[in-house]
Amino acid sequence: MPGVCPLLLLLGFVSTAPAARAMRGPDTTRVTVPIPIAIDQQLADDAGLRVGDRVALAGEPGATPDSAVIVAITIQPADPSEVARREYRLHMHLADLQTLVGYGDRVDKFAIATRRPGDDTAVIGRIDDAAFGFRAWRSSDIAVRTSQTFRVVSRFHRAIGGITIVASTIFLLCILLLKVEERRRDVAALRLIGISRRSVVTSVVLEAGLIALVGSAFGTLVGWIGSLIINWHYRGVYRTPLAFSIVTPEIVVLAVGLSLVLGLGAGLAAALRLVRVPPLTLLGR
Amino acid sequence: MRLARAGATLVRYPLRSALAIAGVAVAAALLLDMVMLSSGMRDSFRTMLLVRGFQLRIAPKGTLPFDSEATIGDATAIVTTLRQNRDIVAISPVLGAQVHLLGARSGAEVTSFALGVDGAVEGDYELERGVQVGGTDRAVANAAFLAASGARIGDTLDIVTGFDPQLRTYTGRRRLVLAGRARFYYTASRQPVLALPLTTLQAMAGTARRDRVSLFMARVRDGVDPDVVRDWVDRTVPRVSALSVASALKQVDARMGYFRQLAFILGGISLAVGFLLVTTLVTVSVNERIGEIAVMRAIGVSRAHVVQQIVVEGLALTLLGTLVGLAIGIVTARVLNGILGDFPGLPASFRFFVFRARAAWASLGLLVAAGMLAGIYPAWRAASLPIAGTLRREAVA
Repeated sequence: MPGVCPLLLLLGFVSTAPAARAMRGPDTTRVTVPIPIAIDQQLADDAGLRVGDRVALAGEPGATPDSAVIVAITIQPADPSEVARREYRLHMHLADLQTLVGYGDRVDKFAIATRRPGDDTAVIGRIDDAAFGFRAWRSSDIAVRTSQTFRVVSRFHRAIGGITIVASTIFLLCILLLKVEERRRDVAALRLIGISRRSVVTSVVLEAGLIALVGSAFGTLVGWIGSLIINWHYRGVYRTPLAFSIVTPEIVVLAVGLSLVLGLGAGLAAALRLVRVPPLTLLGR
Repeated sequence: MRLARAGATLVRYPLRSALAIAGVAVAAALLLDMVMLSSGMRDSFRTMLLVRGFQLRIAPKGTLPFDSEATIGDATAIVTTLRQNRDIVAISPVLGAQVHLLGARSGAEVTSFALGVDGAVEGDYELERGVQVGGTDRAVANAAFLAASGARIGDTLDIVTGFDPQLRTYTGRRRLVLAGRARFYYTASRQPVLALPLTTLQAMAGTARRDRVSLFMARVRDGVDPDVVRDWVDRTVPRVSALSVASALKQVDARMGYFRQLAFILGGISLAVGFLLVTTLVTVSVNERIGEIAVMRAIGVSRAHVVQQIVVEGLALTLLGTLVGLAIGIVTARVLNGILGDFPGLPASFRFFVFRARAAWASLGLLVAAGMLAGIYPAWRAASLPIAGTLRREAVA
């Protein structure tokens, strides 16, 4: 166990007026030596704060504030679980926060680094056995527990995706069926000049496949542009570098493959129907 | 006559008609679901907030109710100040805290969320069985608490606050009588919740929570704009932030805006898909019957009659598809609601998809109108073709 980092996670309240403005009146803060703090970029942008500014900091609204000085501006990590909360983040030394909120010598959790990745099971067992009231967790287990929101959203997206695939399938079947049926006279002419049923079916199926391929290529381009627009929009809305939409090769293969299979299937079904009809009937005689 | 001919045309191509109806049905179902989603969250949240008629929530400055551990001090003085405003007819102070049940009947360690309330004006739960929170020791719990603890109405509960699981110490301890079972509006269905008298919970939490509350709920007199009272509260009590239903809905829009935007985009796409599908089908159908239409025109059938017949075809496809889509949409909305209902911490009464007849009919009416419009152009084009030339071309072909 080479590294142990105690963490105290509590909400603090910061007066967002920089010292230049906030300190014009009588100074009501408790301490004269300001607490060094780091604020995140969003708070700095929204409140117009810079490194070196002084702010008043209190554990809760109405409490006598302490004086703090901004020593750094941080960038929030791209954490999906935080994206919709839009909370500001403020870092300070553990002892300063414990004093500020009257938490005493207490922390919410310890982050522990093990020497080797495989050591974690043994370390968890030792901690759970040694200290009654403590419970050790793997970071990956905590990630699974906190990612429940995203699992729900992912299931919702899959369900919506399923509905849109059904809608697209029906649409594609309709269009290809009509496209093939438009060729009734061509097919009749081909049959009358002696082209075999098999050749006719092959040509119709190939044509349907080509249409599906060109359509899905165009759809992929539209989807990729849509993905760029979605990322641009939501990155702006939530002020995060997170990617909200990713076009992966697997998704492209699924979309193109599905439309190709559907196209070929619809083409085959329609072509088989056509070649079973006598050519003169197809010509309306 | 027109209806019969349109029906005959649809029956003549059964596969094509069935696919078109299925396509419109799925588009209509998706459109209906998206309309339910776009308005459902707001409606559900609004209904939830107003379930007991409290239009204002008053939380510690800069926070949302129960969004942090912050509390409001000097609660009694604030209640006195709020009562000076005659537009406020009821004030319900609420304190939230974690409590621990010692010696649960089930043998399990039960940690529960506790609400300190005034039983006479509470607005957090609906009593299902038993009697209301009252006196100094009468508490009510939800089903999840009863299941976890194995407690029954009438039991005496040994409840502590500030429990330290390592040292088995606590800051406050009371023996409470479980007087009833309640359904809490704002907590997750699987979360154990206990409501007890506010003063008891404050006393159990020690000096740290003396005369402190997590929020106030305020009921405003009928006919008074809650936002006006909210502004008054913000001005009069600078240590708090007042939130009306309208401002709470803005917060919901900000946090859940993604779903509304998704609903608008997918709703728009389904409308476009329905329109395109009907347009394509009617256009192809008309192109196939150019000769037939020319003959009808030649024997004296009016242009308007031809147009009406083709438009009725498109309308019939859309109407049938929309009716099927309505049923599919309601079923899929339930499925999707079930999926999103697993969101951690979501109140049990919250719904993402809410059926509102007016919105549903308006959206499906839009789809039907789109289907009707889809038939107008191909119909007019076919009816406007020169009769003699068309008949000659058809005969040669």
